[in-house]
Order: sequence, then structure tokens, then C-alpha cells
Amino acid sequence: MAEITDISNDFIRQEIEEYIERPEERERNINLFARARPKMQEIAAALIDGDNDTVNRLTREALDSGIEALEVMDDGLIAGMGIVGIKFRQNFIFVPEVLACARAMKAGMAHIEPILSAAGIEPVGKVIMGTVKGDLHDIGKNLCIMMLRGSGFEVIDLGVDTAPDRFIEAVEEHDALLLGMSALLSTTMPNMGKTIEAFIDADLRDKVKIMVGGAPVTQEFADDMGADGYGKDALACVATAKKLLGVVAKTRA
Amino acid sequence: MENRNQQFIIIGENIHTTRVVVRKGKLVTTAPEGSEAVRYTAADGSTRYLAIPDYIKRTKDYDEGSVKHVKIAVLEAMAGQEPSAAEGLEYIRALVNRQVKAGADFLDLNVDEISLRLQDQIEAIRWLVRTVEAMSPVPLSVDSSNMEIIEAGLDACEGRAGRPLLNSASLERVEALEFAKSKNLPVIVTAAGQKGMPEDDEQRVVNASRMVDAALASGIALPDIFVDALVFPISVDSRFGNHCLDAIRRIRQKYGPEIHITGGLSNVSFGLPCRRLLNDAWVNLSLAAGADCGIVDPVATDVRRIMSIDNQNAQYRLAEDVLLGRDRNCKNFLRAYRKGELQAAPAG
Repeated sequence: MAEITDISNDFIRQEIEEYIERPEERERNINLFARARPKMQEIAAALIDGDNDTVNRLTREALDSGIEALEVMDDGLIAGMGIVGIKFRQNFIFVPEVLACARAMKAGMAHIEPILSAAGIEPVGKVIMGTVKGDLHDIGKNLCIMMLRGSGFEVIDLGVDTAPDRFIEAVEEHDALLLGMSALLSTTMPNMGKTIEAFIDADLRDKVKIMVGGAPVTQEFADDMGADGYGKDALACVATAKKLLGVVAKTRA
Repeated sequence: MENRNQQFIIIGENIHTTRVVVRKGKLVTTAPEGSEAVRYTAADGSTRYLAIPDYIKRTKDYDEGSVKHVKIAVLEAMAGQEPSAAEGLEYIRALVNRQVKAGADFLDLNVDEISLRLQDQIEAIRWLVRTVEAMSPVPLSVDSSNMEIIEAGLDACEGRAGRPLLNSASLERVEALEFAKSKNLPVIVTAAGQKGMPEDDEQRVVNASRMVDAALASGIALPDIFVDALVFPISVDSRFGNHCLDAIRRIRQKYGPEIHITGGLSNVSFGLPCRRLLNDAWVNLSLAAGADCGIVDPVATDVRRIMSIDNQNAQYRLAEDVLLGRDRNCKNFLRAYRKGELQAAPAG
């Protein structure tokens, strides 16, 4: 097992010391960063700092120096985002800062995606997203999409007021394994259940995992409706998406 | 400031079943008889306790630390066993009294989260309207995202303290105007579009104008029209504040002094710390732009206190910079917050 002193980057060491309290999360991050190259730690540090330009430059340099795209993504960008997620959950940082990190992530991913796709490596996952029928509120859904894209997911955004048929069409058209629905209104929330029923009626329920979220949505509602996952905010959405697609297991296989 | 003595209409938003208190906070405590409860000051000044029922303790919300106190009060008062039903009723009475005392002109009622079943929501709004009307010296505002619930609530209103407000009509719900007209009610019209939320001030003005013009055409007079200019969280996009303020200015200019302009003002600070400071500055900015009404917590939003705030002090200016899009990623504001330079706003 690695020690925190095995991490060479001062900034990363301080971040872990200062913000990560849960023992299992500390251990996981210490192990991860202790074995990551110094250059990857630097990328993660710039990402945590929300520094778009530096992430952009360091990612390019790393790839040019011959480091594998997958390694840059996992040990640099995604590892950095992991710490961002914990800081946000614990109220150490706030929405504008998380969004800055997501933009930095996107700047890095812009270099990585073409390499992965040329090598025939699929994106982390493909997600269909939309607000449900009758609901025009999309701020939360858009935050989720930013975070998902920042974490390497390909997102097909169906926008607002999405009828069940439209969700079904999109899942079939894009061969997506994951669907995310959001609702801000408790009066439109039941349309999540109706959409899930529509998938059952179309005999497609087994083909796709369905996650839900939005201010009035709770874990209980999600369970009642028969959803596979629930996230209470945009970062939880990413965690749920990864869990449902078994992404963690895949990237480190 | 020229708005200093102007009348500001307060639509009190505290009787919403979405409202939460945090379990770690001061209000959630152990009642003398030993159960976990929400402590409150009753209308007669005594300290009382609203017990947290087991069906709430089984929810994940509760697990994660929040208690939907208004929902508990309404559910218990409507259908609970004694003495819990009486306590629920006292709790609602306390919510009414505090808001009225703080200067609320309308009490907004929303039960959308009471249940997922429309029939339950309708039953709850009817019950709540009758209950609050019997306690309140000010008129009600009936709020829902479903027109059937609004109609049921307004039909149950006697209007003893004045005509209730319909909250709200929008381009996706134009028929609400006919209902308001037929019952001679004031109405909130929102700047939401038929197919989505407005992206800037222009779309707000276009959407709101279509609603106002339709209301005028159906015979509703300007003083009975309240435009909700739609306040979005500044944490998500630094332009959101100016979009809303510019729309307020343009709507005021277009329709003159008689129309009312309002909004859910505290939305602006979602996702940021020191929300009270941001909300205070936002109330002043909205007033200066031409708003004359807010859908707010009247206890927190004491307009006299807010208008007398020193708007030259450093923390107020940091808040203003955030709201006017002058502080990228709220960097200066959050830095000051971490250095402990943003104090809680002084009490009224």
C-alpha cells in the first residue's frame, strides 16, 4: 500500500490531506496518484484548479511525448475529476468552480477523443439525456450533460419536453445502453414512470439502463418507478452513469 | 436610491411542501417527550415541537440530512392521529403568522410534492386553501405546475382577505388566463416559452409580452397582471443576472408603472455560499431595474433592512459583481468567502 509521501506533486498531496476525509477514498486516491507519473499528477492538479489553458497544454505535451491517450485520460483527467467530485460533495467547492473544472476536462478530452476513436476505442459510454414530457426546465439537465461529457461520455441531448416515443427512438437509433431523464416539477415527474413503462411495452426495458434526477426526485421515487439509478446532482449523475455501465471495471481491466 | 420608499409587494413562499430544514441545524432537535422533532415558535409565542413521523425517517432525504417540514405539517394536520394533527395545524398557523408579521402581501401555497397522485394533490390544495384562509389576514396565492390543482385551489378560496392570485399562466398554459378572467383574479404570467426556457432578455420580453397582451385582450387590467421575469442561478452562467435585469427594465418601460414585475428572487443564489448576501443584493438590483414584487421568504427578505444596507461595503460589492456578471466563475466572491470576509448580513 502506498503512503501519501509517495505522491510527488505538492498540490495533489495537499488536496488529499486537506479535503479527503473518508478513509477508503483517501486510500484509493493515494494509491492512484502514487503510481501515476508526475506529468499525470500535474494534469490532474491543473484540472482541479479549473485551469483550462494549462490542462490543454499539458495534455497535448503528454500525448506528444508518447504517453498513451488512455493513461492521460485515466491518471490525469479522470483522477483529477475524482477529487473535484469529493470536494463538491463536501461543500468545499461550489457550482461555478465545478463547471470550470468540467471545461478544463473538456479541453483535455478534445485532444484525447480523436486518438481513442481512431484506435477504435469506444467512448466511456453513450448516454441519451432529456427532460421529460411537459417539463421545460433544463438547467439541471444541462449541468449533468456538461459533467458527463467532461468525464468522457458521449451524450445525445434530446432537449426538453421529451415524449416517451422520442426517448425510445433515440435509444434505438444510437444503440445507447444508458438513458437519463430529468424533471424539475413534481407534476411532470410521473412522466418518468410513464416513459419507463413505454420501454417495457416496447420490449426494450432490458436493453437499456435508466437513470433519473431533478429537484423533486428522490431515491424512493426512482425505486418506485423502476429506474435503475438516481443521482441527486450533476456529479452524482456521473457516478451513477459509471456504475450502471460498469465503467470503473472496464477502464482498469 | 430613488426606489427607497417605493411599495414592494411580497408573495410569501414559505408554505411549500418542498421546504426543508437540515437535520444538523438548530431547528431539528429532541422534543421533551424524547422524539426527534422540528422546534418552532407558535403563534402565541410558546416553543413547540413538530414530531418527525416514522414514514419520513424511512426516506433517503432524511438519511441524507434534510427534513421536509411543511410536508410533514400538512400531512399530519390533514390526516394524522391526535395530538400530531393538532401540532401540524399549529405549525401551519405559525408559518402564516410569521410571514404576515414580516409583511407578506400574499401567502403562496404549493402542495405539488405532497404526493405523486393528482387526486391527492387536489385534495391537499383544497384543504390547505381552506385552512390557511381561516387563519390569514392577507390573500392567498395558489401555486402549482398543474392547472387542475390551481383551479381546485382557487375554487376552494372564499377570498375573505382579498382576491387570491393565480400562480401561474404561461405560453404553455394560456388557458389559465381565461380562468383568471372568469373569476376576476389577479394572475402571474411567466416569461417561459412554449417550447423551452428563455435564453436571454429578448426571449423573456417576447414571451412575457405575448402573455401580457393576451391577458389585456381577455380583459384583465394591468394592475392585475404580475410578470415573473424568471430568475436563474448565477452560479451556472454569469450572464443570467443581466438577462433577467434587462428584461425587467424593458418590460417596465413597455407596459408602464401599473403592471407588476416579480420573480422567485432567491433562485439567483443557488449553488453558492452566503446566499443571503447575494439575495439581498439581488433584491436591490431587481428593484432598481423596475421590479416591484418578489416571490420570497419574507422573514429572510426584509425589504426595509435590505434597502438600508450599505451598498458601498466590500462584501456587498463582491455580491453585486457576481450578479452583474463581472466576477468570472465567481472567483473573487468565493475567495473572499474562504478567507472569511463574507459575514452574515446583519439582522433587521
